[in-house]
Amino acid sequence: MKRMVFLAAIAALFLTGAGAASAQDQLPAPSPIEKQLAARAEHVTEVTLDKNMLAFAAKFMDKDNDKEGQAARQMIQNLNGVYVREYEFDKEHAYTEDDLEGLRKYFESSEWSPMVKERSKGHAEGTDVFIKLVDGKMQGLFVLDAEEKELSLVLILGPIDVDNLGKLGGNFGIPKDAMKKAEKKVVK
Amino acid sequence: MLLLPAGLAAVMAPAIVLAASGGGGGFDGVVHGIESRYHARATKIPFMGLISALAGVSTHGGVHNLHLAEFENFSGPIDGEELNTIVTQHIGEGWQRIVRETSRSGTDQSLIFVRPEGNHLGMMVVDLDGHDLNVIQISVNPDQLSEQIKEHRSHHRDDPPAED
Repeated sequence: MKRMVFLAAIAALFLTGAGAASAQDQLPAPSPIEKQLAARAEHVTEVTLDKNMLAFAAKFMDKDNDKEGQAARQMIQNLNGVYVREYEFDKEHAYTEDDLEGLRKYFESSEWSPMVKERSKGHAEGTDVFIKLVDGKMQGLFVLDAEEKELSLVLILGPIDVDNLGKLGGNFGIPKDAMKKAEKKVVK
Repeated sequence: MLLLPAGLAAVMAPAIVLAASGGGGGFDGVVHGIESRYHARATKIPFMGLISALAGVSTHGGVHNLHLAEFENFSGPIDGEELNTIVTQHIGEGWQRIVRETSRSGTDQSLIFVRPEGNHLGMMVVDLDGHDLNVIQISVNPDQLSEQIKEHRSHHRDDPPAED
């Protein structure tokens, strides 16, 4: 009996460890702020794709014969997750600076570095780009794009090729504008 | 003599399996779940099995397993969270929600679930647009389908321009 308990404890420890290791690349649970934003929004779009689904969904992309198209497909196949939230409001600035700060805080860890911080004067508007670097390679990207009546959150986890960043826009619900902005700023 | 019962069994097997699965999950489960919660009745599309088979043949297996249920004059608006819960509870194992669109008015709701089915991608779409709610299931082979689309495009490119 003691042996069984011992084995169960070892198994539990192993599983917890494995969970913690893979949790780094898992998509996050929605923050309470997202729920509040969803309640205020006129229209909400949520897209959540994990690694398996991305690998499979990449097959649906145009099979471009050019190198760039193939590179974009390859990048998508290797991603660990895509998480998109778009909130459309009927009134201007239905979100507050505190809401945005709360969303940014999620990425204020040692792993993530703020890359772009663009603010509009007098309004809680702007663009934030955070990147996750592992051994000098980009392993994650978070874009928070706040406009008058629209708020977009894009979180991409996994190895990202900066040159093909823009190609993700328009695929899998990733807003084109937000990705174009991010590509411009990151490549700059 | 044994060939006839064996052939019949082969033909009947899918029907038996489908009947046995009943409202246990998948398309039927989702439709029954919506019917019982909202006291609505789905309109059956005649010859859906035949349409599905024809789609499979015409796309060389690119599309198959087509199911469609239509709820006309659906009494909306409905709570998006509740619809999501009902569909998630009834859809069965292996499905993953990838898209959810909701409107505060409750009159527009979309849910897209997918699951890998070998070389195919199974898709289940639940879409409420005003007073029309549709549940669609489809199985798509992306490779086959993109080949078909390419072929179709090249045929059109080869066509001589129409004369006025």
